[in-house]
Amino acid sequence: MLESAELHFNVDHGYLEGLVRGLKASLLTQQDYVNLVQCETLEDLKIHLQTTDYGNFLANETNPLTVSKIDTEMRKKLCKEFDYFRNHSLEPLSTFLTYMTCSYMIDNVILLMNGALQKKSVKEILAKCHPLGSFTEMEAVNIAETISDLFNAVLVETPLAPFFQDCMSENTLDELNVELLRNKLYKSYLESFYKFCKNHGDVTAEVMCPILEFEADRRAFIITLNSFGTELSKEDRETLYPTCGRLYPEGLRLLTQAEDFDQMKTVADHYGVYKPVFETVGGHGGKTLEDVFYEHEVQMNVLAFNRQFHYGVFYAYVKLKEQEMRNIVWIAECISQRHRTKINSYIPIL
Amino acid sequence: MTMGSMFRGEEVALVQLFLPTAAAYTCVSQLGELGLVEFRDLNASVSAFQRRFVVDVRRCEELEKTFTFLQEEVRRAGLVLPQPEGRLPAPPPRDLLHIQEETDRLAKELRDVRGNQQELRAQLHQLQLHEAVLGQSHGPPQAAAHIDGPSSERSPLLLSPAGPHQDLRVNFVAGAVEPHKAAALERLLWRACRGFLIASFQEMEQQLEDPMTGEPTRWMTFLISYWGEQIGQKIHKITACFHCHVFPYLEQEEARRGVLQQLQQQSQELQEVLGETERFLSQVLGRVQQLLPAGQVQIRKMKAVYLALNQCSVSSTHKCLIAEAWCAALDLPTVQQVLRDSSSEAGVSAVAHRIPCQDMPPTLIRTNRFTVSFQGIVDAYGVGRYQEVNPAPYTIITFPFLFAVMFGDVGHGLLMFLFALAMVLAENQPAMKAAQNEIWQTFFGGRYLLLLMGLFSVYTGFIYNECFSRATTIFPSGWSVATMANQSGWSDAYLAQHPLLTLDPNISGVFLGPYPFGIDPIWSLATNHLSFLNSFKMKMSVILGVTHMAFGVVLGIFNHVHFGQGHRLLLETLPELIFLLGLFGYLVFLVVYKWLCISAGGSALAPSILIHFINMFLFSRSPTNRLLYHGQEVVQYALVVLALAAVPVLLLGTPLYLLRQQRSHRLQRRPAGGQDKDKAKLIDITDASESGWGPDEEKAGCSGDKKEAELVPSEVFMHQAIHTIEFCLGCISNTASYLRLWALSLAHAQLSEVLWAMVMRMGLSAGLKLGVQAVMMVPVFAAFAVLTVAILLVMEGLSAFLHALRLHWVEFQNKFYSGTGYKLSPFTFAAEDE
Repeated sequence: MLESAELHFNVDHGYLEGLVRGLKASLLTQQDYVNLVQCETLEDLKIHLQTTDYGNFLANETNPLTVSKIDTEMRKKLCKEFDYFRNHSLEPLSTFLTYMTCSYMIDNVILLMNGALQKKSVKEILAKCHPLGSFTEMEAVNIAETISDLFNAVLVETPLAPFFQDCMSENTLDELNVELLRNKLYKSYLESFYKFCKNHGDVTAEVMCPILEFEADRRAFIITLNSFGTELSKEDRETLYPTCGRLYPEGLRLLTQAEDFDQMKTVADHYGVYKPVFETVGGHGGKTLEDVFYEHEVQMNVLAFNRQFHYGVFYAYVKLKEQEMRNIVWIAECISQRHRTKINSYIPIL
Repeated sequence: MTMGSMFRGEEVALVQLFLPTAAAYTCVSQLGELGLVEFRDLNASVSAFQRRFVVDVRRCEELEKTFTFLQEEVRRAGLVLPQPEGRLPAPPPRDLLHIQEETDRLAKELRDVRGNQQELRAQLHQLQLHEAVLGQSHGPPQAAAHIDGPSSERSPLLLSPAGPHQDLRVNFVAGAVEPHKAAALERLLWRACRGFLIASFQEMEQQLEDPMTGEPTRWMTFLISYWGEQIGQKIHKITACFHCHVFPYLEQEEARRGVLQQLQQQSQELQEVLGETERFLSQVLGRVQQLLPAGQVQIRKMKAVYLALNQCSVSSTHKCLIAEAWCAALDLPTVQQVLRDSSSEAGVSAVAHRIPCQDMPPTLIRTNRFTVSFQGIVDAYGVGRYQEVNPAPYTIITFPFLFAVMFGDVGHGLLMFLFALAMVLAENQPAMKAAQNEIWQTFFGGRYLLLLMGLFSVYTGFIYNECFSRATTIFPSGWSVATMANQSGWSDAYLAQHPLLTLDPNISGVFLGPYPFGIDPIWSLATNHLSFLNSFKMKMSVILGVTHMAFGVVLGIFNHVHFGQGHRLLLETLPELIFLLGLFGYLVFLVVYKWLCISAGGSALAPSILIHFINMFLFSRSPTNRLLYHGQEVVQYALVVLALAAVPVLLLGTPLYLLRQQRSHRLQRRPAGGQDKDKAKLIDITDASESGWGPDEEKAGCSGDKKEAELVPSEVFMHQAIHTIEFCLGCISNTASYLRLWALSLAHAQLSEVLWAMVMRMGLSAGLKLGVQAVMMVPVFAAFAVLTVAILLVMEGLSAFLHALRLHWVEFQNKFYSGTGYKLSPFTFAAEDE
């Protein structure tokens, strides 16, 4: 494809790109984190957050302040920004943004189905759903009894519909099936998103493909790790791996055979990208694989801002903001539970 | 305010305030009312939540939160908050509790009433929806369409006589759903239980107010008839997830009617109760309206005071707070008086005294409504370094003048002047200040600037003799065509054959003398009008430019004298002046000399200044070019040599002087004992407060220790080299840059000429009958007027403004102005009072 993003990108998306870059500058800095960590109570945390771009977002919360209130408000703020992007976006950016919400929608659907299985009230679950992935038919998820039911009745009109192709079955929905469904949906979602970015070409492809490749591989690793010691057969496991990552096909085949963490690590050692990642696991500070992956993700997302004229910045911004929210929640949890020894294991962004 | 304070920033002192703990709050709040001091943060290293008064700040914030709630409620009720009246000082701290209690009580009351009202409205809404659902005219439900009468609804739909379908019966779900969800609901129902239900949707007839937002919406009512328990559950789940209001739907028509009547009665009763509640609500809101505006201002002030107090440090005895603040030396007595007054109750007096300071103080230049826009032009480039010469007073004249040189036209200038005059005359009307339009505010803020710009444009317009591009004949022209015609015997036939005639000033009586003011109007008839004006305007630009720049260099002298850097007078200003005046000043001299001494009679042999000026640098001569005066070449050689000799002085003078001075300092200090050294340091510090903030060498640091600090020779040389190169090249390029005066004024004149010729002249010379012509002139003049304002006034005006700005910022100010200071931003409640 002709390398021409520079010529016409700004006509349609220049404003939003400028906006997102501006918002990126509002991410908390190292100094902010140092100050947050020193807070004694959540009130202190609030006062400190007021001096950042979060501003008065907690001003109208009734006392006492809790971690979940902070979390909800932060999500709302992000959601508001994202909705602004979405409302002002033009094709194909709007499709791109829809793709971004799909992952949250999948999570929400699964969360609701799990809730229904455990006979929890819908309201309770709804509070836990991510606002970025909410849609009108969401609450109706619990009327479905089989996956095809779910698809035909509830989700056929949502952007999630295309991802159901591979996972239609008449199995009743129990917890294992729901988990399998999540992974299958995710797999086809990632592959579809990857294809979209690849087809779009230009800088967007150059930036987004590595990020999505990493995302796919991360899922493969995590699925493998979580399947150790469960009844999931190796064949089933293989069907869950997203095939758009760097591990495909050879690495995935090897991963299928892996039986414990060390074997997984041997697989990762074949790949220049993942070798250093796995090497830092359990090093100083006892980092988990998840933490290490998060760190790597943050790094990739920050790098996305080094290029111009592409959609990756939107993805990167939302992911960075998510990470920042995880950090703040972590710090807030540590503060509220007076568990300060681990307060420093947040993942710095800038 | 004295006029002198415009010339350079006022003396600003660092003041230490000792505020007795008991009176600290009152003192700071009084200082806030006064708005003269800028607090320095003494706790910069302490984070926001570890400061002393953080609890009080937090309480103020709590209160503000309640205020926001009240304000929001008032706004929601469609009421306007009155502006607070009178002067509202920050309330004493003990009143905070009182205010808080009162506000909280009010807020609680409001919340209760609001809650009640909300609840009642929700109930009413529900009732109304129910009414609508029951009253919807679905007729007999379609499901039962082919069954006669409601009594037979119990019989199976299909005519299956008996068997497993015996218990199959039609059930109903009726309810209402928000309109935007209706389509999705309908589709989902169809997909989830296809074939087992019939749903009918209908828009409600009247709009209902949403109980939460108060927005009117037209709900959709629906009636679903279905078969089977399973489906029923599903439908209930689905309607629940779409937040539908579902109501029992009786099968008998009469029963429904009965319920409907009951509902209507209920809703009537409810409406009465609601009316009562709303009356009470408006009473409470009325009280809020009274309390809120004053409370908001007071609490904002209180919070500001605590934030200022948070910047103070605590004395070792905990008896007083110590604050450091910048304050104009002139205002110090006022500040001290206020502090004494406001701490008199506490028994211990608050004190303010000057302390020596090592940092560069902020710049304070007081402005009034006239000078503020000119100061704004200067500050937009950079706020002056402390006590540096302020270019603003000169800008007041030079800026409008240089603008007018580019914009010279009596008509356009007059329009601009009248526009500005209207703004100036109306400036005290509240509507003017209240206008929110940003573009308007820009114009309004610069009204005095526009006024002068217009006035000067009228002046230069007279000089150029142009009014909407037409020349005016105020005085009789200095040229006599009649004499010329008589002298050279132009016959009628000759005149008919020759459209172009030449007037020869050498024939006596043809040129009677220069026009008394500006350009002779006869030039507007001449074909060589443009070349005459070009020569004039080009020379004028150079003269103005060199004068302007030389003035800039001279202003530098005041800086050097003030900062006690006498060496720079000799080593910088003098060589700079020699270079500038020796080369370009001489050019100006040549221009003026030629104007004065070469008359029309000698015009055939007139020497070319350009050739002379080039030859001056080449040390050569051209035989065809006559000398202007006797001994010209000697003078020119001398000037060039002098100017070139000034360059090394400028380049090396200051650095060498500084290094020598540093060496001698070091030699002096070494033998001195420890005590002496301290003393010397003290003296130095006091010295520094007077003279420590001069530009340049100085960039090495402006702290009191700066004399101790090593001057790095390479840096000093580098800096001076840059300065020298900038100045010398600048003299050439800046002089050329002033030619924009010529270019822009030419462009302006030509553009207005074109507009006249293409619009007005076309209209005037259409050669129609008088009546038709007059009617046609209306649109023609309209076009002329619109284009004049849009292009010649606004567009050209902006362009000339921009170039005048550039000439000031770059060509003028770089000769003496560093603009690296920062403004004094005093702690003041003024903004809160507004």
